[in-house]
Amino acid sequence: MTATDLRPARAAAVPAVPARPRRRWRALPALLFLVLLAGAWQLMAVLLDSVLVPGVPQIVTELVEIVADGSFAEQLGITVLRVGLGFALAFVVAVAVGIAMGRNEFARRFFEPAVLLGLTIPGLVWALLCVIWFGIDLVNPVAAVALSSAPPLMLTIYQGTRSVDPDLLEMAHVYRFSRATRLRRLWLPALAPALFAGARLGLSLGWKVIVLVEVFGMSSGVGYQLNNAFAAQNVAAVLAWTLLFAIVMAVLEYGVLQGLERRTGRWRKAVSV
Amino acid sequence: MSEPSAAHAPTTTRVRLDGIGKTFVDARSGAPQQVLADFSLTVEPGELVAVVGASGTGKTTLLHVVAGLVEPDAGTVDIGRPRLGVVFQQPRLLDWLPVRQNVALALEAAGLDPAAADGTLAAVGLAEYAGSYPTVLSGGQRQRVAVARAFAVEPDLVLLDEPFSALDELTARKLRLLLQELWMQRPRTGLLVTHNPLEAALLADRVIVLAGRPAQVAAEYRVDRERPRSAEDPHLFDLHSRIVAAL
Repeated sequence: MTATDLRPARAAAVPAVPARPRRRWRALPALLFLVLLAGAWQLMAVLLDSVLVPGVPQIVTELVEIVADGSFAEQLGITVLRVGLGFALAFVVAVAVGIAMGRNEFARRFFEPAVLLGLTIPGLVWALLCVIWFGIDLVNPVAAVALSSAPPLMLTIYQGTRSVDPDLLEMAHVYRFSRATRLRRLWLPALAPALFAGARLGLSLGWKVIVLVEVFGMSSGVGYQLNNAFAAQNVAAVLAWTLLFAIVMAVLEYGVLQGLERRTGRWRKAVSV
Repeated sequence: MSEPSAAHAPTTTRVRLDGIGKTFVDARSGAPQQVLADFSLTVEPGELVAVVGASGTGKTTLLHVVAGLVEPDAGTVDIGRPRLGVVFQQPRLLDWLPVRQNVALALEAAGLDPAAADGTLAAVGLAEYAGSYPTVLSGGQRQRVAVARAFAVEPDLVLLDEPFSALDELTARKLRLLLQELWMQRPRTGLLVTHNPLEAALLADRVIVLAGRPAQVAAEYRVDRERPRSAEDPHLFDLHSRIVAAL
C-alpha cells in the first residue's frame, strides 16, 4: 500500500477538553444552599420556640448520638440490604421486559397495561399489600421495593430501546455478533442513559417505599427507627434520621451513580476538533 | 492487511438472485411501492459488480436482500452462508468502544483472532488511532474504520452500500483508491451499489445500470481494465459517460 496520500491528519487525536471550574469550588453553591437552609431553620426554631421545631444544635446532637452509638450503621445496613435486593430484582426484570417491549410489538402490547397500572399504584399501597401478604419476612420489603421501582424502570428502558440506532442492530446482524456480545457491547452501552435515568427514578421510589414498609411491618431498619422517634414525639430524632438518610442518598448519587455514569460516558467527552 | 497467501484461497462465493420482488408500504399514505420486480442478478466468484442507479431505484434494497437484512416477497436468493464484510453508507461504529475494539468485535464474531485488528487498522492508515474513541475521528477516518472492519473478517462476500457518498469528494477519492488496493491484495466476490458512475467504473469488474420503478436493468458494461485503475483513465471516463447516458 502506498503511504503517500492515505494517511489521516493527526489533528483530531486529542479531544478538546472544555474549561471546568476548579474542583474545590464546585461544591460551593450546594454548600451555600445548605448553610442558608440551616440558618433559616434555626431562625424559625428561635421564632416559634416550640418542641415541635427543634433547633439545629438539638438536631445535630441527636444525629451525633445516633451515629456514635452504632445504631445508624446497623439500621442503615438492614435498610440498604432490603432496597438493594428489591432494586436488583426490579432491574433484572425491567431490563428484560423493557428491551422486549422495545423490540417486539406483542410484548409491548402485553406488558404496557402492567407498566401503566404499576405507575399509577402509590407506593403506600404496595407497602400495605406486601405487609399483609408477606408479614415480617425479608420477602416483604424486597417485593415492595421491586414492585414500586420496576414500572418506571421498565418504561425508561423501553423508551431507551426505541431510541437505539437500528443501523447498529443491522451492523451487528451482518457481522453475526452473538447474543451476549450484542447485549454487552451494544444494548447495555446504548441504553446507559436510560438505565441511569431509570435507576434514579426507581431508587427514589424504592427508598420511599422501604421507609413505609419498615414503619408498617418491620422491627428494624431506618423506617422502624423513624417510627420509634415519632411515637416518642422526638422530632429532633425524626429529623436526624431523615437527614442521615438524605446524606446516604447523596453519597449514593454523587459517589456511585454519577461516578458510574461518568465512567460509562467517557466516550462522549472525546469529540473531534 | 496481510499479503495474499495459501490461506487466502480464491473465493468460491457466488451470488445468484432469481426473480426477486419486493414491495414496501408507504408509511404515510399506506400505498404499496413496488421497488423490485422479477429482478435477477448473478455475481461470479471473485467478481465485483457495481449496481448504479438514481436514488429510489431499489439499489440499497437489493443489497439488503443479499445481506439478509430484507426478506424478498418473491424470488430466490442463492448465496449459501458466506462470511460478510459490509461497508454501509454511514460507518455504523459503536462510539462507546475504542476503534480497535470496533474491529476486534467483528473478528471475534467471525471466529478470528481479535489481535489482528491492529494490523488491519495499520493497513488503512489508522494505527495511531486504534485506542481512540470513534468520536474523535473525522468522517473519512470513521469510514476507514468501517472499511478495515469489513476486510478484517476475511469476508467471502463484500457488500458496499454507497460507501463514500456521505464524504467530501477529496476524501472519497482517497478511500476509493484504498478500496482498490485492498481488492488487489485479495479479490473477493463483491457487490457495490452506488449512484456515482465514476466510482462504479473505477472499482467494478461489471457495471449494471438500474432505471425505473420497479427497477429494470437499463444497461450492463464489463470493465476491461487491469487494476490499479486511475480516475483519469480516458477509457473509464468514456464508460462513465455511457453509464450517465443510460441512467
